[in-house]
Amino acid sequence: MAFEKLREKCLNKLRKDLKDSVNDDNLIINAVNAIDDLEKTGNMLVTRLREWYALYNPEFEKWMTNQEKFSDLILRKDKKTLLEEIHAKYSIGADLSREDLEPIMILAEQARDNYAIINDMKKYMEFKMRKHCPNLLEVVGVMLSGKLLAKAGSLKRLSQYPASTIQVLGAEKALFRHIRTGARPPRHGMLVQHPLVAQAKQKDHGKRARTLADKIAIAVKVDYFKGEFIGKKLKKALEDKFEVKY
Amino acid sequence: MELLNKKFPGVYCKKQGKYKNIYTLNMVKGQKVYGERHYKEGPNQFREWAPERSKLGAAMMKGISQTGIQEDSLILYLGSASGTTVSHLSDICTKGTIFAVDLAPRVMRDFYFMMEKRLNIVPFLASANHVEEYAEIPQVDVLFQDIAQRDQVRIFFKNYDKFLKPGGFGLLSLKARSIDVTKKPGVIFKQVMDELNQRTTVVDYRKLEPYEKDHAFFVVKKRV
Ligand SMILES: C[S@@+](CC[C@H](N)C(=O)[O-])C[C@H]1O[C@@H](n2cnc3c(N)ncnc32)[C@H](O)[C@@H]1O
Repeated sequence: MAFEKLREKCLNKLRKDLKDSVNDDNLIINAVNAIDDLEKTGNMLVTRLREWYALYNPEFEKWMTNQEKFSDLILRKDKKTLLEEIHAKYSIGADLSREDLEPIMILAEQARDNYAIINDMKKYMEFKMRKHCPNLLEVVGVMLSGKLLAKAGSLKRLSQYPASTIQVLGAEKALFRHIRTGARPPRHGMLVQHPLVAQAKQKDHGKRARTLADKIAIAVKVDYFKGEFIGKKLKKALEDKFEVKY
Repeated sequence: MELLNKKFPGVYCKKQGKYKNIYTLNMVKGQKVYGERHYKEGPNQFREWAPERSKLGAAMMKGISQTGIQEDSLILYLGSASGTTVSHLSDICTKGTIFAVDLAPRVMRDFYFMMEKRLNIVPFLASANHVEEYAEIPQVDVLFQDIAQRDQVRIFFKNYDKFLKPGGFGLLSLKARSIDVTKKPGVIFKQVMDELNQRTTVVDYRKLEPYEKDHAFFVVKKRV
């Protein structure tokens, strides 16, 4: 082959470059995407689990709305105890045999494990982020930090976005519609997941997302250039401005 | 199996009912690169070339008249991604070489496994805007670019000036949206056509509908 030597040289360089290209961004983004998947499958599992368990104990199934606690409690306590705890006088659920109950409990274990894995992964992400993007972490928390990184593709890219872009990250469809047709611009994208925006009145969403985006833009720039820790200051400024704690 | 067009060595086609599929002869027997179908004829194994997955495949289906790609071509391919199209070029250019450039490690990883057994591919993890990073390649017969970047025409000419032989072909795949989301695709295609015509000769042009929305494919020929 004509370019055998060049090919060999390029291939060796490529092997090394690919090896070296794996970084904290890649690891964190995979973790956040995995959590996303686990949450989706987890919800599916618990929905099925509820449907099934309600044949046996519909009173408790109705009463306990928290998914994670539901999977945990039905494993740890029997029907009689649970009914007592919620002051149910009788149950319209069937008295299932041990054999019929067992597969339901196996499914419950799977659901509970799923939550445990999610929690472990969040801890892992927090650990990574404390070094990689401590300021971002402080201002928006583990999950939203991860989602912002995933959307941008890397801390570097995120640090290059102006606040106005960060404000609508995750609302690309609405943004393009706005640019093409002049429809109303989106007020926020995934920042609506932040308590400062989520818990505000609808009419304040835009303003809050804007202010939050300003602080995020600063946080990620400092993180990217490995500057000092100003996360606490940024967070306090936000809390003072809107007179809320988060 | 017959040749699609005498001008396109190595590109085969077969009618199946109303439809026509295109194929290349698999250089690495048994290998599937992107889930494409294999087709056996005698001792030969062909790989179906999916026009929805490859813009060059789409341009072929849309009846493009010339590409300059020959068995022994030297090709510089910018934006090789995971190698969908490059794998077919590798089947075609059995006596040539494809120099493939992409800047994203994620896609280059898939590309690496695709090309391990294909000896006519030389990879570069680099930006097409940094021509000095692959300056050691020879002058090429064909320059192919599919990078979906705002300044792709400028990057195209940068490589055209530095690497394309006089008389060589330039193939440019263009996604209107990546140049400007606010303008109608037709307007952008016209604008790019004018830009190309100022510096070179456009010898063919196809819209890639229905295979790709708002994409166009330009063929230019460098003056001798
Ligand atoms: C649409 S994909 C190409 C698909 C490929 N041509 C095929 O048909 O199989 C665009 C690719 O261009 C790459 N790219 C974007 N900008 C680039 C640049 N400046 N230099 C090199 N590659 C670039 C991206 O990483 C992406 O893999």
